[in-house]
Amino acid sequence: MKPITVTLTVNGQTRTITTLPNKTLLYALREDLGLTGVKDACGGEGECGACTVILDGEAVNACLVLIGQADGRSVETIEGLAQDGELHPLQCAFVETGAVQCGFCTPGAILAAKALLDRDPSPTDDAIREALSGNLCRCTGYSKMIAAVRRAAEEMSHAR
Amino acid sequence: MPAELKTVGKAELRKDAWDKVTGRAAYVDDLPREGVLVGAVVRSPHHHARIVAIETAAARNVPGVVAVLTAADVPGSKTFGPLVQDQPALAFDVVRHMGEPVALVIAQSKEAARHGVAAVQVTYEPLPAVHDPVAALEPDAPRVHSGGNLLTRYEISEGDVATGLAAADVVIEATFTVPRISPAYMEPESSMARWNDDGTLTVWVSSQKPFEDRHAIAGVLGLPEDAVQVCSAVIGGAFGGKEDSGLPVLAALGAWATRGTVRLINNRHESFLAHPKRHPARLHYTLGATREGELIALKAVVHLDTGAYASYGPAVGGLLTEMLAGAYRIPHVQVETNVVYTHSPFSGAMRGFGSPQAHFAIESMMDMLAHELSLDPLELRRKNALRPGDRLLTRVTLDRTAESLPLILDHLAAARARLAQKPPAPGRVAGVGIALGMQSMGLGYRVPDDSTNRLALAPDGSVLLYIGSPDLGQGLATAAEQIAAEALGLPYDAVRTVDVDTSVSPNGGVTCASRMTYLIGNSVMLAAQGLIAALLDYAARTLNVPRDALRYEAGAVITAAGERVALGEFASRAADEGVPLVAEATFSFPYPEETTPKHLPIGMPHVMLVFGGQAVRVEVDPELGTVTVTDVVAVHDVGQVVNRAGVEGQIEGAVAMGIGYALYESMRLKADGQWVDSFTEYLLPTAEDMPQIESVILEIPEASGPYGVKGVGEMGLVPTAPAIANAVFQATGVRAQAIPIAPEVIARPLGG
Ligand code: FES
Ligand code: FES
Repeated sequence: MKPITVTLTVNGQTRTITTLPNKTLLYALREDLGLTGVKDACGGEGECGACTVILDGEAVNACLVLIGQADGRSVETIEGLAQDGELHPLQCAFVETGAVQCGFCTPGAILAAKALLDRDPSPTDDAIREALSGNLCRCTGYSKMIAAVRRAAEEMSHAR
Repeated sequence: MPAELKTVGKAELRKDAWDKVTGRAAYVDDLPREGVLVGAVVRSPHHHARIVAIETAAARNVPGVVAVLTAADVPGSKTFGPLVQDQPALAFDVVRHMGEPVALVIAQSKEAARHGVAAVQVTYEPLPAVHDPVAALEPDAPRVHSGGNLLTRYEISEGDVATGLAAADVVIEATFTVPRISPAYMEPESSMARWNDDGTLTVWVSSQKPFEDRHAIAGVLGLPEDAVQVCSAVIGGAFGGKEDSGLPVLAALGAWATRGTVRLINNRHESFLAHPKRHPARLHYTLGATREGELIALKAVVHLDTGAYASYGPAVGGLLTEMLAGAYRIPHVQVETNVVYTHSPFSGAMRGFGSPQAHFAIESMMDMLAHELSLDPLELRRKNALRPGDRLLTRVTLDRTAESLPLILDHLAAARARLAQKPPAPGRVAGVGIALGMQSMGLGYRVPDDSTNRLALAPDGSVLLYIGSPDLGQGLATAAEQIAAEALGLPYDAVRTVDVDTSVSPNGGVTCASRMTYLIGNSVMLAAQGLIAALLDYAARTLNVPRDALRYEAGAVITAAGERVALGEFASRAADEGVPLVAEATFSFPYPEETTPKHLPIGMPHVMLVFGGQAVRVEVDPELGTVTVTDVVAVHDVGQVVNRAGVEGQIEGAVAMGIGYALYESMRLKADGQWVDSFTEYLLPTAEDMPQIESVILEIPEASGPYGVKGVGEMGLVPTAPAIANAVFQATGVRAQAIPIAPEVIARPLGG
């Protein structure tokens, strides 16, 4: 297998990496770019959502994207969510509502929620549940995660 | 008492959450990669087989492979195990379950490790396997271990069951089947180990028991324990399943053999196959009562499938036996619990530790009895609920904690009435079910059950809490910090937890058994007194005044003249002088004379119990047989709340696990001989499956608890599954005696 060179925008910065073509975006982010906020909880089989990132505005499982498919595209990870040192309202809301326990699902869940709020700033509870339905969490029972997304949406609507 | 509390009970935010929402929190797989070798495990494809030969030469020649290790390379003890030392680090002679580690490949990259694993040639001679715990006790069943397949049997007889059953007006009998459950924490097991130049090892773990991991590693490597340092990384959930030293032992072996740093991460398949599960069980119950619904006698025979290795199986069987009759007074009880080896992936500790299995049976039986007698299931429970002073089948005398049961039932009655008002969606039928639950705290009488923790004053006047037991994600550190802050009269922010590192932390004990906030809280309160004493000693010397002229109050030393000198001043001065201001304290789980039995019918009875109950509303699609849980009202007595969001989080997470237990989850052996071992087939509840959960938290203080704290870690799961089965019966008239409840069990009888 010959390595390939891929250029993509990660959290607003252009990054070029040379890596094997069978590498997924998940492991390219974790191993080649050192962005370890993106997690693997199912063995990269598209079942857990711990690897969720935002690719060109859409929440995707980074374990199902081959690095070559990300060429020329724009990726947002949990590390890029805070702006100018200020946390995103979702990050604050997750902490403040007690939606974080072990935290392993947290980056993925926050990014899934961000993709939702980016397209639907005041989602219904059902829409929130649906947006989070691909993000498994074994600790929280989801209630506080759903409440956190609701809270962040309210916060952001006031700020607007 | 609660009115005076300043930090305990307040909505403090967990400090580790900030790192978790920004991606900074470092779990084992996030630790630096530079120069770190990759471990990968060759695993058994057979349930049971003799190992004829292991050929490693080809694997060693794979470019990038550094070492290939088998049992022959293990320098110390070939086996380990917390209760019975029967678990091989790497299999020798035979493999006893699919997924068992047979060889360990260490390589420079994941790719090379994968190729290395593929190149190891193991010749097996397959042997017959047994997967059913009842069949495994047949005389001609394939043997899992040479000593036979019965690992442990508990037999208890209190009163006279035969006479009791004969005297009963009604006797009902049923067999219940509960599945093998994966703890399914999101972070699979992981460990990293480094060989240090001075001949010691440093091992990072995702584990509930770093001190016991150290013991297991030292044993397998033949090293003294003080040559092994075990550090806790951030832990991505555990639920009992991370009470297993398998991965730390293998990572350490890899580092030892290569004199390097080795990381070993299980993928999800490996996590399913080679880490502890909740015991599947078959429970046969016979229950007798009077026409008025007074329970007279219970006879139960239980078979627990403990899989190929003992792990905590004997203890799980013991606790299941203790919990067998649930929260009810029954004069005549006879129990036989068999913990049986099979060729299945091994079972061990998991949240509830035997109690969820027992409660599925007894709480289903209570509703079946109520139906038989045309009584209200709730009133039947009220009539028979335990009361203070009652004696359990373990001869433990109940203390005041049972006062919560009538209150719990009142809340359930109100919740049931309210939920019953809700009309079902078109085409659906609805039902409301209830169940009670009982869970023990602590490890049990005569089991060492201590926790040591340390407080140290930092130069800046803040306090470092050297916690001796890891936070698994549930928020233990936050609760301990709140209690420490309360005891020292300091703001919550002034106390910071230091992660467990066996070379500096005291031994706080294994994080388990709903006991940690209680145990660590008590130990931290004692340490706080010690720290205040040390501070006053130092202040007296420094100010050159008699010690009793000084007192401590809320972060300051008060002189005889009433002057306040802030703690920080002494802290920085003591640091300059090299005087440590530190206090350590040990708290041991109490076994009061009044409640602990003099004669033990069972090895390790638990004397501290917590109670709860849940009302569940379900909607059933009669044609498809699908069940949707729409509402759960969870009523739990937790003692004084330390952190409400934390307690609610424990209950909500546990209820989700209970829903999975009742409706979705089962790690079963498929027709093709393979185990369900991925999230594709093993379904966890998602955000869309979750009902409205209302937590009703009762705070009946526990006199021996720190500020009245009890425990909540496991309890929330216990009533959920039987309450769902009872609700399904209310909705459909179909009694599910096996979980997860299969849609066809409901759809068929309803003619769908
Ligand atoms: S790692 Fe599980 S969905 Fe990608
Ligand atoms: S917080 Fe642990 S998996 Fe979600």
